[in-house]
Amino acid sequence: MGLVESGKLPKPLTKLLNISRKYSMWVYQWGLACCAIEMGAAFGSPRYDVMRLGVIPFPASPRQADLVVVSGTVTDKMAPAIRRLYEQMPEPKYVISMGSCANCGGPYWDSYSVTKGVDQIIPVDVYVPGCPPRPEALLEGIVLLQEMVANEDMAAKWKGEPLVVN
Amino acid sequence: MTAISERQQRAYIASQAADMRVNVELETEGMTLNIGPQHPATHGTLRIIVKLDGEQVVAADPVPGYMHRGYEKLTEVRTFPQVNSLINRIDWLGSFANEVPFILAAEQLMDVEAPPRAQWIRTLLFELSRIANVTLFLGDMAVQLGAVTPVFYAFRDREYVLNLIESATGGRFHPNFDRIGGLKDDLPKGWIAETKQVMVKVNAFCDELETLLVGNEIFNLRTRGIGVIPPEVALSYGLSGANLRSSGVDWDNRRDTPVGLVYDKLDWKVWTHPDGDSFARYWVRLQEVREAAKMVIQLCDGLPPGPIMAKVPRIIKVPAGEAWVATENPLGEMGYYVVSKGDLVPFRVKIRSASFNNISIVPWLLRGVYVPDVITILASLYFILGDIDR
Amino acid sequence: MSHLSSTDTDEAGDAAATDELRTGLVEGLVNELQDGVVASHLLPGRDLWVRVTAEAWDAAGRVGRDVLRCSYFCYLSVIDWLPSPFGRSMDSSVDNILEHVAAKDPEPMTHGVTGGETRFQLLARLYDVERHVGVNFKADVPDDTLTMATWTKHFGGANWHEREAFEMFGITFAGHPSLRKLYLPGDFEGYPLRKDFPLLSRMVRPWPGIVDVEGMPGVADDDGGE
Repeated sequence: MGLVESGKLPKPLTKLLNISRKYSMWVYQWGLACCAIEMGAAFGSPRYDVMRLGVIPFPASPRQADLVVVSGTVTDKMAPAIRRLYEQMPEPKYVISMGSCANCGGPYWDSYSVTKGVDQIIPVDVYVPGCPPRPEALLEGIVLLQEMVANEDMAAKWKGEPLVVN
Repeated sequence: MTAISERQQRAYIASQAADMRVNVELETEGMTLNIGPQHPATHGTLRIIVKLDGEQVVAADPVPGYMHRGYEKLTEVRTFPQVNSLINRIDWLGSFANEVPFILAAEQLMDVEAPPRAQWIRTLLFELSRIANVTLFLGDMAVQLGAVTPVFYAFRDREYVLNLIESATGGRFHPNFDRIGGLKDDLPKGWIAETKQVMVKVNAFCDELETLLVGNEIFNLRTRGIGVIPPEVALSYGLSGANLRSSGVDWDNRRDTPVGLVYDKLDWKVWTHPDGDSFARYWVRLQEVREAAKMVIQLCDGLPPGPIMAKVPRIIKVPAGEAWVATENPLGEMGYYVVSKGDLVPFRVKIRSASFNNISIVPWLLRGVYVPDVITILASLYFILGDIDR
Repeated sequence: MSHLSSTDTDEAGDAAATDELRTGLVEGLVNELQDGVVASHLLPGRDLWVRVTAEAWDAAGRVGRDVLRCSYFCYLSVIDWLPSPFGRSMDSSVDNILEHVAAKDPEPMTHGVTGGETRFQLLARLYDVERHVGVNFKADVPDDTLTMATWTKHFGGANWHEREAFEMFGITFAGHPSLRKLYLPGDFEGYPLRKDFPLLSRMVRPWPGIVDVEGMPGVADDDGGE
């Protein structure tokens, strides 16, 4: 893929690659708290069927995932594990932060043990608000992310840095 | 505001590794297996460090705290109604049940009693949240044992119950519907009829699971005689709810101390099981969902008319005093010890959550079992992380 | 019965004026512990509080389990009676109007039912699942040592509760098999549930205040509170 890294990829080819990337998004479920149940309802229940969006919620490990949904309260004790998870994912990688707690601390904004937002430890692409957000809201967040991926300049996203695994 | 620097991170990881060395007290040459904090089999962020000898567990040490959010401290800086919206999130599957004991404790201190209709609706929503909570367990336990189908059924039928809770309270997950002195609103029109229809579906779901799992030979082999808890050990560890009743202890707060709720006016049965193993825990919970559905129908039929709110001041100051109120929540006995000093905010709230005690038995229970059974036992104990870590 | 400092029968009313079951529990405790029982408080038909001395704490657990037959271990925790030096940590003008006092007035330390002398008080509850009666045990923790006897030899469940009390309040339990942190990461400093532990987020960010006070159903909005 030297062509991609050089930034000289022809436009139609970029478009094609982006479409295929956007409809084969392997998502890793990092369920932490209440939101994990709504995420489970969105990904695992027959009612909301996430696979019709081209999202496959069954990677065995973060090393196979393109997208991680961090859903729920991130505590200071959990934060290093989340950071490590993110570092294990191959580029290009995306993060959806689901729920008020993961966005900014939510109802625990003044707690002594809660990290006030997962964006303090890893970069976040889409924030889904709500406490907890309904499964539909998470699906909307995924659709937004797919739009973002479709219009992405791959050379900018893909800096060609080697994958570092700790 | 708590940005994690590179240095801090390394310190965290190092301390976790140090934990792992210190926590296992036995000095055998074995293998140390770290399950969690994020692992599909622990349905939540519980981390368990297991020391193995071959395939047998020699010592197990759960490491909770990955979901510790500091409720007890936060209650000290929130007013009573604000605390109510916070504690919804302790046991996030049966949220309404979390509010009730706290509100009852505050009412006891204020010497206020909710009107009969409010008490009936409280009991009704309490049992609905039990159904919403335990149905997920019934499906999830099967997933842990390798059968994927039941969890789809559970999510399907749980949605009906969540819809009911949502249409009555406005919140799918966290209703925040209970108020000191009564309820926020009355039930919407047509809700009763709809509820009765859903209860038919819940009963059908229970029957379906019973035919799928309870008679299933694989399920029986994986659960019968696995993780047996004798009643005296269960009491000593403070196990409660279905975990205690499946060890043959016939105690249910709903029947024995029905403070502020109307369980004494209903016709229902407390189920127990003498075996105390994983199967018994599953079976007792299955029966409890049936009983809850039965109770919901009776509650719908017997709902008295009248106001839903007692006369309480608009700005709630709770008189000085101490009160302990516990109810039988989906996970077990949930109680609040509320200390008030006559202020807008509680002075101290001790939250006694069921899962904390239920999981503290794990080091005792896992000694000597085989690795695959670890998952069975954990699933059958049925915990919710928010309820352990608070 | 000289040990009983207060037997509250105000609420007798319709409930049984004399609660024989709970009175019997107190008598049983006094017989076993003698001077170990400092005070007791009884709400007939509702609940029972007993305060024991720090020395009698260990024996209270044993007697509670074996003699009173309260074998169900409910919980063990601590109350810090120090008035919070930070008030409610709410600095918004709305809150101060509601409170009618400046937030940082030093208050005297007052104790709850059955009284107390020290800052920290241990609180535990045992329950009898057959007779459906429970006892709330309290004991003053010595201010100088902050050390109490462990209940882990009587109740397996006390293990985690004592670890929690150790981490949140800094109370040491002599004889506990492995007293270490339960919830917090290893490098966390301080004891969060002590009243003098500040919530830093509240110091750096003003409390948004009570934005809307919701009207009660059936009550006109203009009655203006208390």
